[in-house]
Amino acid sequence: MPNPFDITRSDGETSVFIRGSLDINTAPGLAEEIDKIVASRPKKVTVDLSGLDLIDSSGVAALVKLYKGIRGASGHVEMIGARDQPLAIFKLLRMDKVFNL
Amino acid sequence: MVAPIRLTVPGTLLYRNVAVRVVAEAARLVSGSDRRDPNDLLSNDVRHPFDTAVVSAFMEIFNNVAIHAYDRRGGGAIELAITPGDRELLIELKDHGKTFDIDGVEPIPADLDVASLPEGGMGIHIAKTMLDEVTYEPGPPNLWRLLKRMPEKLSA
Repeated sequence: MPNPFDITRSDGETSVFIRGSLDINTAPGLAEEIDKIVASRPKKVTVDLSGLDLIDSSGVAALVKLYKGIRGASGHVEMIGARDQPLAIFKLLRMDKVFNL
Repeated sequence: MVAPIRLTVPGTLLYRNVAVRVVAEAARLVSGSDRRDPNDLLSNDVRHPFDTAVVSAFMEIFNNVAIHAYDRRGGGAIELAITPGDRELLIELKDHGKTFDIDGVEPIPADLDVASLPEGGMGIHIAKTMLDEVTYEPGPPNLWRLLKRMPEKLSA
């Protein structure tokens, strides 16, 4: 199963583009990359969710891990582009306010 | 009610997407929603609030069965009976694995901040909140019963 994400890095900033479905089958792959991203201590991480069609609680957990890791290292996380089912899930979990979606 | 759509899949996460696609199409039968691209039948295109609720909840319960009932190892089946009604959808999932303590699920904190953001335990909360009814009868077989009604104000 191909990874549903692309990661680009430049000058202290990291961008993560997520597409398709981020779920219990695909989130572990992203979680591995999140460990690397957090370890590199970027000043800013942008997570583009505009290509994300479906998310489940495992996918949410991966994004929470990223958010906590970066914020814990005094970095900034910007989540953009959430729509449809993923946005509904963030709202249901009241994370839309925390993530500023 | 019409006759149920019946599907049996091995109780592992490998077959999850097969079941999710069938459930998504059944939800569309009730909501009357259209795909963004009608020619792309393999897209994860869930936009209508009714479809969103049904698919989101189903994904979590399927995950729960594969992980908790079958310990991620399979060895059993998940039997689905999906019954589209006039303005509601009933989904029943049966498994022959371990029983689940649904009452032991911790609620999501009322006030979330960075420290209290949960990294797990959200699945049952999602299912219960998205649906009108979620019941669990320990077995064997264990039976999850998921019901979503379409409010009058929701239309495709």
